[in-house]
Amino acid sequence: MKRTWPQSIALFGGLGLLAAVIGLPFWWVASGSIKVPREIISRVPTMVPHSFTLQHFEKLLQSTDFPGYLLNSMVVALFSTAFTIALALPAAYAFFRMEFPGRAALYRVILLAYAFPSVVVLIPIYGLFARLGLIDTRIGLVIVNIAFALPFSIWMMRSFLASVPREIEEAAVIDGAPPRVILLRILTPLIAPGIASVSIFTFIASWTEYLFASVLIVSDAKRTIPVGFAGIIGQYQIDWGLLLAGATAATIPVVILFAFVGRWFVSGLTEGAVK
Amino acid sequence: MKTRLIAFAGFASLLMAGTAYSEPVNITFWHMEQPPHRVQRMQELLDEFNKAHPDIMVKQEPQSWGEVYAKAPAAFAAGTGPDLLFGIPDFTTVIKGIDAVVPVDDLAKEMESKHGFVPATIAPYQYDGHTWAIPAYNMAISMWYRNSEFKAAGIEVPKTWSEWKAAAEKLSVDGKYGVGLPANKQLYTDQTVYALMVNSGAQDIYNEDGSISFDKPETVSAFETYGALQKLSPPDSTSWTWGEAEACFASATCGTILQFSVINTYETQAEADPADLGVAPVPHADDMTESGTISYSNAIMLTTKDEAKQAAAKTFLAWLLEPANYGRFLTMEPGLFLPVTNDGAEAESFWSDPVVTKYKSQVETMIANSKNGKLFGFTTGKVFPSIGAISGQNVIAESLQKMVVDGDSAADAVKYGQQKMSEIAGK
Amino acid sequence: MRTGIAMSNPRLAFLFVAPALAFLAAVLGWPLVQAIILSFQNVGVIGTAGSWVGFDNHVSVLGGLGFWNAFGRSAIWVVGNAAVQTALALGVALILNQKFPGVRIARTWIILTWIVPTVVVVIIWRWLLSTSGGMVNPLLIQAGVIDRPVGFFATREGSMASLIMINSWRWFPFTALMMLAGLTRIPSDLYEAARIDGASAIKRFTRITWPLLQPTLLVLGIVGTLLSFNVFDVIWLLTAGGPSQATQTLPVLIYETAFKGYRLSEAATVSVLTSLLLMGFALLATRAMTASEDAR
Repeated sequence: MKRTWPQSIALFGGLGLLAAVIGLPFWWVASGSIKVPREIISRVPTMVPHSFTLQHFEKLLQSTDFPGYLLNSMVVALFSTAFTIALALPAAYAFFRMEFPGRAALYRVILLAYAFPSVVVLIPIYGLFARLGLIDTRIGLVIVNIAFALPFSIWMMRSFLASVPREIEEAAVIDGAPPRVILLRILTPLIAPGIASVSIFTFIASWTEYLFASVLIVSDAKRTIPVGFAGIIGQYQIDWGLLLAGATAATIPVVILFAFVGRWFVSGLTEGAVK
Repeated sequence: MKTRLIAFAGFASLLMAGTAYSEPVNITFWHMEQPPHRVQRMQELLDEFNKAHPDIMVKQEPQSWGEVYAKAPAAFAAGTGPDLLFGIPDFTTVIKGIDAVVPVDDLAKEMESKHGFVPATIAPYQYDGHTWAIPAYNMAISMWYRNSEFKAAGIEVPKTWSEWKAAAEKLSVDGKYGVGLPANKQLYTDQTVYALMVNSGAQDIYNEDGSISFDKPETVSAFETYGALQKLSPPDSTSWTWGEAEACFASATCGTILQFSVINTYETQAEADPADLGVAPVPHADDMTESGTISYSNAIMLTTKDEAKQAAAKTFLAWLLEPANYGRFLTMEPGLFLPVTNDGAEAESFWSDPVVTKYKSQVETMIANSKNGKLFGFTTGKVFPSIGAISGQNVIAESLQKMVVDGDSAADAVKYGQQKMSEIAGK
Repeated sequence: MRTGIAMSNPRLAFLFVAPALAFLAAVLGWPLVQAIILSFQNVGVIGTAGSWVGFDNHVSVLGGLGFWNAFGRSAIWVVGNAAVQTALALGVALILNQKFPGVRIARTWIILTWIVPTVVVVIIWRWLLSTSGGMVNPLLIQAGVIDRPVGFFATREGSMASLIMINSWRWFPFTALMMLAGLTRIPSDLYEAARIDGASAIKRFTRITWPLLQPTLLVLGIVGTLLSFNVFDVIWLLTAGGPSQATQTLPVLIYETAFKGYRLSEAATVSVLTSLLLMGFALLATRAMTASEDAR
């Protein structure tokens, strides 16, 4: 189909605006991180840096354990993702295809997990984790992240399962395959794109989680990126250069990661299942 | 046989010494000095202390002020709290409220006779018959300006509120702001507003019996002046914390600001001459004769019930206050943290810091100002538990916003503050 | 309905569901019970003991203005976010549903704002909106929108609007992609048929796109409402509920009451009541959702 001129202008104008709204703030931050301090806080800001320095990044690497924070975030997010998928897949299948008493009610109860402010469970969870020795551990963060990602993941996967053509499953049932085999051998490969996007959702949710990580983690060696970043904000004084360098350093790893897996997120969401 | 016995005894004692060495008393120390360079300096000091005291092992765990109010009580309740905890006076009342803090009367007395505390720094921690923490460093708000700007505009350093207003108006030219005062719902605003309240005689917010005495003409006059000056501040000052005010000053956008210290930012970000940086006491009301200010004495609480740990922690605190070490502790943020002891104020280890040396006259003025420091809720010698919540919820700043943002009169805003504080005190 | 292939083996089904359920019960359910218990006590600072006070907390919270004012602000917050995000996201989704060179790159990288931690988002905007080094004011002055720097958090309305814009900036690309997923499920032959009938672009949108997007919008509406209702960190880190409580939504009120006012039981009560309200909403909404899913 061909676009008319006005349509093209609207399309590319919209795209340009979108790129500006999303891209400009990142450009300002990234370019700000290599400016000298005086230029960063200048009353007349500069679009393109007039100065160049790596002092903020040097300070970041010298005086904080930023690589350590990155590693912690990566480990926590990866494990959270793996366990969430392992728990969500069978549950979603059961809610989708199996009959058992209380199915509809339980499904609703799971979605209600988002119906209360997460601040509410902060203190009880702290008490619980203290008894189990999970304070200041990465396992503790993984557990919390799974709990918050699970309901959404189950719900998304159920809808991906629903988009698999019924005939494929029927054929397997007629062949006498048990449910475990149907799920793992037949359905899982079919909804792989969907699983990819649920994984990415969980990964990002864990990667950006701040409230629980800030309270449950005590020692510097186990901090994740958001908490480590919050740590350099500082009371009484703010080093904007260091913050911009930190913001840039916190963004780059996910950007690199997204360069590899990003398209799966979108294709998974749009396709759900291989048809 | 005998030799063998001796050898055995020798071996045994070696073994015992070995176990004593391998199991030092572990002390966990929470502080909120999280910026990396402060953590680094603290670690240098800890390494030194641990090396000199093989039987003690002090470990730091920097926390953030933002979360520690929730985290510390939760940690103590769960039995995972630290052995030493940094605090400011209102935070100490909270920790005391959950019975997690142990009085340090003896150590305080010993340190007093050895080093001599600046009275204003230990007073906020002495109530209910005990001393609840050992002061670590002091911070006090001063007025900061640039000598060259004042000279160019032909103004003297303002001493009274009307002089300050006149100066700020003169400095508000071509896109610059004569003054930068915050109006955020945040601790910084509590501090700057109270800095004015002290200067009109409204320093007491409690009566003797624990009822609130916020609503009085002195407070209203402080609010009125603050409001007038705030109008000359940058439009984003309603969301400022300390950092924005400093940036405004360092970029020469703001003519005068109230701040604990701008030395570090001025030195690293403004690229200007140290001699041009001016600091003076916060101006006082026209009918007053002397300037006062708000000061925060930061102190360290002992929060372990274990006697061996208590003894070890006290050894560490005593070591920290030794003049040879203390100066290096203070200069983890040079030009911000001020000494709480008399011999600390003269310590070579403090004055030899390169930044302190460079800004010696400014630091001397800051120390002089800090001696007239007061803190809301800790002015009458009696401390009431509700100060924790009044301070935590930034009631002073919130009342100010009633005036600055909602356009209420100063009297109404102060009345609102009185009502809100009374409500909290009543609960 | 699904009898053809649906399996009736409750024991196996429980085996599939139990791990997830047990997990949620332990990590979310149990703490929630704790919160309910707390709401019937008078605990102040975390970790101190309290005594039973029955429904005293509930009565005073429901009888006071604080809860209802915060509820009203939460409603504005949710509706504002929904409106801004839906409008932006729908526009973006319609653009990304077109074919043009680089569409895959655009579809991938639009999500950039969402993969950045909230703390970082907050710092970015604090700096950009400030008058010392911030880019937004000079840009607006250059564009002639304003003639002198403005304070984005200087008024009550301005603060709420600025917060909604910042939160939407982070979330609208995500919403857009969810909508795009809905758009791609609309069969393209419907559009072809409409085109042959000579329907205008506007008509095609109102007659095909909009109605067929309803299920997606419904689901997004429910999940989005719950998620944005519970947004806490952006508000807390930028305004702490100010100026003069203009942005104090329910999560902010809960946090402030518990950790700044040291009234844990009162905070728990507000939480429980908030949860009841949200659950009522969610129950009604999920019923509509499962109904529309099952109808397919």
